[in-house]
Amino acid sequence: MIRLQGVTKRYPNGLLALNEVSLSVAEGEFVFLIGPTGAGKSTLLRLLYRAEIPTRGRITVAGRDVTRLPARQVPALRRSMGIVFQDFKLLPHKTAYENVAFALQVTGSPPEEIRPRALQALEVVGLADRAGALPWQLSGGEQQRVSIARAIVHRPPLLLADEPTGNLDPRTSWEIIQLLSRINLRGTTVLVATHNRLVVDILRKRVVELAGGTLVRDEDYGLYASQA
Amino acid sequence: MRTTGSTPARPERRALGALRAAAGYAAAEAAAAFRRNGLMSAAAVSTIMAALLPVGAAVVLGANLRVVVAAVEEQVQVVAYLQDGVDQTARQRLVARIRTLPGVRRVAFVARDEALRRLQAALGEGVSLRDVVETNPLPDSLEVALLDPRQAREVAAAVRPLPGVEDVTYGAQAVDRLLALTALLRAAGASAAALLGGVAVIIIMNTIRLTIIARRQEIEIMQLVGASPWYVRSPFVLEGALQGLAATALASLMLVAGYLVLLDRVRQTLPFLPLARPSEVLPATVLALSLGGVLVGVGGSTLALRRYLQV
Repeated sequence: MIRLQGVTKRYPNGLLALNEVSLSVAEGEFVFLIGPTGAGKSTLLRLLYRAEIPTRGRITVAGRDVTRLPARQVPALRRSMGIVFQDFKLLPHKTAYENVAFALQVTGSPPEEIRPRALQALEVVGLADRAGALPWQLSGGEQQRVSIARAIVHRPPLLLADEPTGNLDPRTSWEIIQLLSRINLRGTTVLVATHNRLVVDILRKRVVELAGGTLVRDEDYGLYASQA
Repeated sequence: MRTTGSTPARPERRALGALRAAAGYAAAEAAAAFRRNGLMSAAAVSTIMAALLPVGAAVVLGANLRVVVAAVEEQVQVVAYLQDGVDQTARQRLVARIRTLPGVRRVAFVARDEALRRLQAALGEGVSLRDVVETNPLPDSLEVALLDPRQAREVAAAVRPLPGVEDVTYGAQAVDRLLALTALLRAAGASAAALLGGVAVIIIMNTIRLTIIARRQEIEIMQLVGASPWYVRSPFVLEGALQGLAATALASLMLVAGYLVLLDRVRQTLPFLPLARPSEVLPATVLALSLGGVLVGVGGSTLALRRYLQV
């Protein structure tokens, strides 16, 4: 599903965010991408959804060579993945339902399909009964569920999450991670960048650790801290 | 994954529905932007209008000058004044001779009394020539109508040495001056339009920039979920086009009203001045203005998108 070969990203200001990273994620996997702030987790995700282009190396996502993807094919790439952020990125004047439906509207979905698909996505995240609520009327955890519903409404084969629990208390964080895990069980490949030690240690999934832009650990059933 | 419960529609109907939804979205967003940046939009609209007005005025004036040129060209003729005492036989021989010259369409004899009557008619009732001069000072003359006004010089040169001809005049100089004036007017209108059009484009860029800033969150999400670039851009382009159209409507209204008033005044005070009828000039002018307005609007918003909208 995801393949990085010798990927290096140096920002124009000289910062070396990623250094010769090679990584392969198979279809249906659930992977935690961990490491302290500034380790390069967000940069790696941004490279995957083509918000950045690597300085060196090759990236393929779902069979697409992202490094050589022409700009006009970026929308198609983004429709094949869902992206979830720490700050939810919900539109404040739209209801939960409208925020989810928005993703279908702006990508040219047939109008008659929008309603059933958006409601179904809200059902998956357990918010069918809060469809008419505005973001400020929802708790942080509920807002993140709305943003996850928006991310999966296209039924993408890949879900990227950048610190999805960064703004949430431990209990809510756990619920969100469980939700992502459930989505993974339905066949979606999930890549979660986090430095939430607790959820990583409880879930015991594959752990990929970055430090200073370098891949330092890749371990199945891993813990947050290296056991070596 | 489960399928939705909706009934499957035919693909072309689905595409049409999505297209209609997209168009509705673009229109709604453009209208919202118009409300949101009211003052800035008003500034943009009035600037484009200010840019369009001289263009429209130049087009209308140019059309009128063409009418005048045509009228003058129609009247361009070579007039041969005859020497005193040329008798009828000599005159008929002269007329026959001139008729054989290349480029001559018609030759007409104007007796001196007829010439005086015409002069009196042209001057109107206000002046009586009889009060000024005792006897008729005008000579007999031959009016030589031409096939092509540009041949006036050659025909005049050919007529001048003929026996019985005192002097020859022709009116081509007036045509040359009018044509030069038309060209000058066109150049002035074009440069005024270019200058003001540039200012209008900059102002439109600014209003579109404000809209982009106001909607940056929405734009970011659209780009993240994979909205196509034209879907993201169309509301902004439409907003610019709407501003251009509004300016066109205002400028056209002012121009049409202005021309009708001018026409009315001119008819009262200078009835002999040939002016273009409103139906001759105004439709083409309004069309040119609409084109210009929409072009400036769409151009300004496209430039703003290229500059301020990061993909």
